[in-house]
Amino acid sequence: MSNKPSIVFIKGLWNENPVFRQVLGICSTLAVTNLLANTLFMCFGVIFVTALSNFTISLIRNYIPKRTRMIVQVLIIASFVMIVDIIIKALAPEIHRFIGPYVGLIITNCIIMGRAEAFASQNKPVISLVDGLACGCGYSLILIAIACIREPLGFGTILGYTLPAKELWWHQWTIMVMPPGAFFMLASFTWFTRSLTAPKSETK
Amino acid sequence: MKKTSTTYILSFMIILCVLLGSLVSFVQLSTVDILKENEKAHKSSVIYRAFTGDNNKLTPKQYEEFITANLDQKTRSIGKRSLEIFKHKQDKSIGFIFQGLGFWDAITGIIILSDDLSTVKNIQFLNHKETPGLGARIEEQSFTDQFKGLTIDWNAPVGERVIVGASADPNAKNRVDAITGASQTSIALGAFLNTELEIIRSNLKDF
Repeated sequence: MSNKPSIVFIKGLWNENPVFRQVLGICSTLAVTNLLANTLFMCFGVIFVTALSNFTISLIRNYIPKRTRMIVQVLIIASFVMIVDIIIKALAPEIHRFIGPYVGLIITNCIIMGRAEAFASQNKPVISLVDGLACGCGYSLILIAIACIREPLGFGTILGYTLPAKELWWHQWTIMVMPPGAFFMLASFTWFTRSLTAPKSETK
Repeated sequence: MKKTSTTYILSFMIILCVLLGSLVSFVQLSTVDILKENEKAHKSSVIYRAFTGDNNKLTPKQYEEFITANLDQKTRSIGKRSLEIFKHKQDKSIGFIFQGLGFWDAITGIIILSDDLSTVKNIQFLNHKETPGLGARIEEQSFTDQFKGLTIDWNAPVGERVIVGASADPNAKNRVDAITGASQTSIALGAFLNTELEIIRSNLKDF
């Protein structure tokens, strides 16, 4: 297995994308993608926690007692989630009021625990940091893509700015504001991206 | 020392907890002033929205200016609690910060009553930790709008002056619809709003 930073990054971002390949982190993908601003802060939170928890776990991996490694990983992840929660609360209180419960739930995001156990606990700190960044970015890529469709169709805005000549052509798709809209978008994205990345044998 | 020994595991966990705890505490302490300012600005914006019904976004200074220019404020001590009461200088409507236990945690907000306390003019929520998508929908305009013009039946028993959810008379003027899927939040809200209304009525003397 090659551990070149560029290969690890592309794997996390696309080839082994946590959302459409590994189907991880789905709860927040469905919950926070109806407004792009909320999505961006959620993505910041996940990238921050995935990267730094991967780095920290990798840094102390040789000292972590094997029997308590899961507890240690959760402890480290929870600390970074608390930090990111405080930062978002301070920088964007209005957005925190909406996504606050989901920021707390980053602790249970399978991507973070998955990367800590599968990658960071067996690799060196810098490459683990790259892997965390890549997985966070891969998660963000899909979330932002979904939000870029849901917000204009559901609210007629993008990042809170009204779309041009909205009154002439725009008609609200209420379903895009609601969670079922995210289900449809996620399914469409998964189908589209998997059809792009599937090996030839899979498509036959 | 062996990594499998209890002493090693205990020492490792204690050191890790102290380090991570210190890191989180440092970030919390560094932002404590900003968080306080944010909380103050949020409270002012909610008070402004409750009294004016205007949902447009203003600056924190503009919210403060509205409160200073238009509202009289008083704080009453009731046991350990300080009850904040506001009175509009022009239309004499009364507002107070209510609090109560929701499904998960405390719910706080502001309710505006007419000067004779006969009707509710508006309700807005300050903080809550209800379930997103269910109980958290108490903040939505479709729910809070039901309270505008709601009659308070002061002749009814304390728990039935304002009803959130089902009642014997579905057209009762003191009733609002509960939130579908959030029965417990709705029941809790109805219960503590009635208690809070009784508290405000007995604490309005000399205001």
